[in-house]
Amino acid sequence: MFELDLSEEQIAVRDLSRDLATRVLAGAARDAETNRRVPDEVWRQVFETGLTAPASEDHGGGGIPDTLTHLVALEGLATGDPGIAIAAMWSGGSALLVGLCGTAAQQYAYLPRLASDRQGRGGVALYEGFGRAPSEYQTRIEHLGSGTWQVAGTKVAVPFAAEADPLVLVGTDPTTGELRAALIPPDAGGVAIGPRPEHGHLGLDAVPLHTVTFDLTIGPGQLLGGPGAAAGLLVGAVGRLRLSVAAAAIGCAARSVEYAAAYANERIAFGKPLAAFQGVSFLLADAAIQIEACRLDLWRAGVRVDAGPIGGLERAVSHAVNYAGSVAASVTRDAVQVLGGHGFMRDHPVERWYRAAAALSTIDFDPTYAAFAPAL
Amino acid sequence: MTVSFELSDDLVGYGREIRDWSVEAVRPYARYADVHHAAPDHWRQIVETCPVAIGTHDRRQVKRQPAFAEGKWVRDLVVTESLTYGDHWISNVIGAGIGHLVVKLMGTPEQIDKWYRPIVDNGGQTAFGLTEPQFGSDTSMVETTATRDGDTWVLNGTKMYCTYGGQADYVVVFASTDKAAGPAAIRAFVVPKGTSGFHVAKFNEDKLGIRSWTTSELLFEDCAIPVENQLGWTGGDGDGPGPAPRTRSGRSGALGALAQNKPNISATGIAMAQASLDIATDLLQEQRQSFAPHRWSLVESDLENMNAALGRARLVNFRAQWLQDLQRANKTEASVAKAYGPPTCERVIRRCMQLLGPDGASTDLLLEKWYRDVKILDIFEGSGQVQRIIVGRAVFGGADRVA
Repeated sequence: MFELDLSEEQIAVRDLSRDLATRVLAGAARDAETNRRVPDEVWRQVFETGLTAPASEDHGGGGIPDTLTHLVALEGLATGDPGIAIAAMWSGGSALLVGLCGTAAQQYAYLPRLASDRQGRGGVALYEGFGRAPSEYQTRIEHLGSGTWQVAGTKVAVPFAAEADPLVLVGTDPTTGELRAALIPPDAGGVAIGPRPEHGHLGLDAVPLHTVTFDLTIGPGQLLGGPGAAAGLLVGAVGRLRLSVAAAAIGCAARSVEYAAAYANERIAFGKPLAAFQGVSFLLADAAIQIEACRLDLWRAGVRVDAGPIGGLERAVSHAVNYAGSVAASVTRDAVQVLGGHGFMRDHPVERWYRAAAALSTIDFDPTYAAFAPAL
Repeated sequence: MTVSFELSDDLVGYGREIRDWSVEAVRPYARYADVHHAAPDHWRQIVETCPVAIGTHDRRQVKRQPAFAEGKWVRDLVVTESLTYGDHWISNVIGAGIGHLVVKLMGTPEQIDKWYRPIVDNGGQTAFGLTEPQFGSDTSMVETTATRDGDTWVLNGTKMYCTYGGQADYVVVFASTDKAAGPAAIRAFVVPKGTSGFHVAKFNEDKLGIRSWTTSELLFEDCAIPVENQLGWTGGDGDGPGPAPRTRSGRSGALGALAQNKPNISATGIAMAQASLDIATDLLQEQRQSFAPHRWSLVESDLENMNAALGRARLVNFRAQWLQDLQRANKTEASVAKAYGPPTCERVIRRCMQLLGPDGASTDLLLEKWYRDVKILDIFEGSGQVQRIIVGRAVFGGADRVA
C-alpha cells in the first residue's frame, strides 16, 4: 500500500530525538569536538535512546527499531550535532549487527553487556575507500579448513577501533563471493590500528576514526552468524549502517537551513530582511527542495533494506548516500554563505556543519554516482 | 592584434620560480599557521629565502618587482597565485592591505603623497574599516559617526572583520558625517595606529579558516584625528559634514578599492584548489591499482574537468586585470571574476577530498584546511550575491531596480 506518513511511533521518535538534539547535543557539540570525545554525560543521555546499543528486550535492550525508525532518530539527533549523532550510531553498529545477524550464543555473549554498559563502545570496520561498495570489499574472511578462518584486509574510517568490544569487521568470503563479518575482541593480535590525525579531523572529531589493517585467524565462534550465516541478513544490516551516514548528513543540512533562514529573517540589508532578496532566499529554497528529495530517497532505501534481499539494494543505498553527501555539503555551504562573514566565525554553528557535512561526504563516496560539476 | 592567451615566457618563469619556492618554504608551515592562528615566528627569514623580490609588509627597502609586457595587474595575478600556492599564510606577512588603495582613489595629491606613496615605496600595511556588526554588504548602513570638533574629526563606532586591523600602520575608517543626510555623507578617514581612542577590541577572530590572517574588531571611542585626515579634504565647500560630491563619496571610493582586488581574491582560491588538485592527483596515481578500472576512468575525467574549471577561472581573472592594466572600465569583469572562481574552487577541493576517501578530510593532509580557508573568498570584499547585483546591472543596462 502506498503510504508516505511516518507511523505514530516514528513521529514520536523523530520528536524525541529532535528534542534531545536541541536540549543536549547542540550545546555539547563544541565540547565533543574540542575534547575529541563525546562528553560522558551526553553519551549517557544518548544511551537512553538505545541508539548506542540497539538490542531486543530479551537481551536487556529497548528493542531494535526498523531501519526507517533508526534513520529518523539519527536525522533528528544530527540536527543537534552530526558528530555526536554519528558517533552514537557507529558505536551501536556492533549491537545492531550481532542482534540482526548473530547466532543465539553470540547474542547472549555480547548483547546483555552492550545493552547495559552506559559507557561501552562498539564499532564496525566497514569502509575501504576507493569508491568500493560492500560487494567489492577486498577484505577477505576465508575458510582455511579445520574450523580456522583467515581475516585480512585494510579498513578506513573505523570508529572506536581501539576500544570497540567487539569490533565487527565486514569482508568478503572469497569462496562464495558473499559478505561475511567477524567479531574481533579489543585485545586480538594481528590488528594494526593507524594513528589518529594529530590535529583532528575536518568535522568528525566527536568520534575517533582510524585506518585499521587486519591479518589474523579466528575460530568459527567469531564468525558473525556462524559458518552457515545467511549473507542476506548482513547485506541489509550493512545497508542500514551505510544509510545512517546519509541520515546524519540530512539532519545537519536541514538544521543549517533552519538556522540560516532564521538569520535571514532577522538581518536587515538595503532596508529589508535578507530573506526578502531572492539571491539569498533562493539558496535556502533550493536547499529545502533538495533536502526533500534526498530524504525521500533515503526513506525509500531504508524501507527496501527491511524488505529483505532484493535486487539493486546496494545501488539504491549508494545513490541515497552519495546524493545526501553531495546535497548536505552544498546546503551547509550555502548556509554559511547566507550568514556572510558571520557564518565564517566559530560564534555560529554553521561553520561546524559546513565541516561535518563535507567530512561525511567523503566516508562512502563513489565517483560513479555523479561527475564533478563546477559551480558555474 | 590577434587574440592570444599566451603569457610571456618571462612572466611564466617568474611565476614558476615563486611557486616552487612557496611549496618548498611556505607550505611546511601551513599547518602551524592554522593551528597557532599566526605565521611562524621566523617568517622574516623565510621571506628572505624567496628568490624574487616580494618584500614584506614592514620592510623599509622593498625591492621592486620586475615589469613584464603584460602589465602590473596581470603580473600580480600570476604572483598572487604562485605565492599562495604553497599556502596563503604568506599573504598576511607580505600583504600591504587595501587601505592605501582607498587613499589613492579618494585622496588629494597631498594625501596620496603622505599616506599612499610611503606604503608602495617603502612597505607598510594598511587596513580597511567598513563592515560593522549590523551590516556587511549594505554599506549605506554605516553607524560609525564622525563629528567635527575644531580642527579635528571625532570618530565613534565599531568596525568588524578588518583584515590587518590590529596591526596596520593605519586604518581607513568609513563614518557618517551627518546621519540625516544619508549615505552620501559617509566619508573615509585615515586613523593611524596608536591614535588615542582607537582600540583593538579583538585582535583576531576565531574563524573557520584563514586563521593566521589578522581579522580584527576595532573600537573608536571619541577618537580624534586632524581634519585633513578626511580623504578628499581640501578645506573647501565640498568637505563635510554633510553629503560629499558624488565623485568623492566615501562608499564609491571604498567599493572602487575593492574592485581592483577582486580578481586577486579569486587567484588565491585558484591557488588553494590547484594545490589540492595536484596533491590529490599524485596520491590517486599512487593508489590507481586500488580502483576498479571503470571507476578509475571516472577519477581521471574528474581530475581533467577540475583542471579545466580552474583554467576558466584564470581566464576571467586575466581578462579583468588586463582591462585594469589598460585603464579601461572593468567593473563588471572584476565582479565576474570574483563571482566565478571561488565557489568552483570550493567544489574542487571538496571533490578532491571525496576522491581520496575519508583520509582526504584528515588533518594529515592540507586539503581539509584549504576547504575551510577557501570559504571566505566568496564572502569577503563583496559576496557572490553582491557581485551578481553588479553583473546584473550590466546585463540589464542599468534598468534594474536592485539595490
